[in-house]
Amino acid sequence: MIWQQLQSLAGSYPLALRGLGMTVVLSLISLVLGTLLGFGLGILRTGGNRLISAAIGAWVDLIRGTPFLVQIFLIFFILPEFGIELDAFTAGIIALTNLAACFICEIVVAGIRSVPTGQVEAALASGLSRWQRMRQVVLPQAMRIVLPPLVGQYVLLIKDSSVVSAIGLTDLTRVGWLVVQRVPNGLLVFFLVGVGYFIVCYPLIMLARRLERRMGAAHGEVQL
Amino acid sequence: MTSSPSKNGTGMIEFRGVNKWFGALNVLRDITLSVEPREVVVVCGPSGSGKSTLIRCINGLETIKDGDLVVDGQRLGDPATNMTRLRTEIGFVFQSFNLYPHKTALENVTLAPIHVRKIPRTEAEQAGRELLAKVGLADKVDAYPAQLSGGQQQRVAIARCLGMRPKIMLFDEPTSALDPEMISEVLDVMVAVAEEGMTMMVVTHEMGFARKVAQRVVFMDAGAIVESGTPDEFFSDPKTDRSRAFLSRILRH
Repeated sequence: MIWQQLQSLAGSYPLALRGLGMTVVLSLISLVLGTLLGFGLGILRTGGNRLISAAIGAWVDLIRGTPFLVQIFLIFFILPEFGIELDAFTAGIIALTNLAACFICEIVVAGIRSVPTGQVEAALASGLSRWQRMRQVVLPQAMRIVLPPLVGQYVLLIKDSSVVSAIGLTDLTRVGWLVVQRVPNGLLVFFLVGVGYFIVCYPLIMLARRLERRMGAAHGEVQL
Repeated sequence: MTSSPSKNGTGMIEFRGVNKWFGALNVLRDITLSVEPREVVVVCGPSGSGKSTLIRCINGLETIKDGDLVVDGQRLGDPATNMTRLRTEIGFVFQSFNLYPHKTALENVTLAPIHVRKIPRTEAEQAGRELLAKVGLADKVDAYPAQLSGGQQQRVAIARCLGMRPKIMLFDEPTSALDPEMISEVLDVMVAVAEEGMTMMVVTHEMGFARKVAQRVVFMDAGAIVESGTPDEFFSDPKTDRSRAFLSRILRH
């Protein structure tokens, strides 16, 4: 019985690979875009403009305070009501990028705020412009705080990407749903789906741990 | 022209009736003070008397509430004054050094010349090495701040300011965070800078430094300038009870 199911599963491996590929591509694109956007939002949020800062804060809270499934439904099913048609892939990228950006924004803000004010004052006093202060003085020091949780966040976002299966994207999770209809052994099928995610995430988990250790060591050496 | 100096003063730094509040606290009271080009003014007074705030106003790290503050002919708070540009003419040395920990001594010195003054990198590095040699740190160009002692860090910080070729140098208790044996190496550098004709305002209690290079000592208490005179006058014949009390406290050590 199990043997037959395994054989039948083995036949599904091209589909499984496609699903894994979709999960990886979706995650990769939205993590890159989300990181860029998240850094931008974080920098703007800590900037002088209160209105912009408050607007970003409100948006981040809204996104962090609502289920990702609801967000993706809103983008995929509700936006077309207003004449914005998106295919599932684009909708998935937008939803994931937005989610990533909001979480990363918070991480970046915490990093920027961890840089002692004396550093900013020294940069100000030597006549560096706002962008130069950020680029040359604040961000390099903030990165030490930002990097470990950033990589940790990547792991969470890759797992969150499974939600896109709800709008019909054939990612790893949806492949599980498709296969289980043919091979009625949910435990086995979703165990393998879980293994697929773990293979993608585990290197990142290791990386986050290494960064944390390295940054912790560097923290001991650097006197601020 | 709003940015021209007043008729009655050609000071490099001119405070006229400056007031500042932190909430209800009047941290600067009616400050009127003119610092001439090439003059060295030492500011002293008890902790919380407003002396740090006073010099932090000069490069806009603090803003003033009312009165006029004119620096190098430019009125602070005037929309016509480009604060970022004015700051390039003013070096500021902090009590806690504030070197960039992720940059070497040389990179600390060359950062602003390269990015603000737009000096070519090789030229800036050449100048940076000379400046570090001048403050006695020729062998530390590639060291990171964490690898330097406090006195060495403060000398790098002074070199970092000099790298911008400023017209004014401000020192906010530059030796207060240092171990006693490192104070003189920093003061020696400051004396050398003063002797080259730099306009300087120095918040310090180092009386030896004041006697050696200052033309004037300004004594502050509770946000106001209480007394001002030559170092000799001030130290040997203080005019007010408050300055006498202050001097007896610091000279006892």
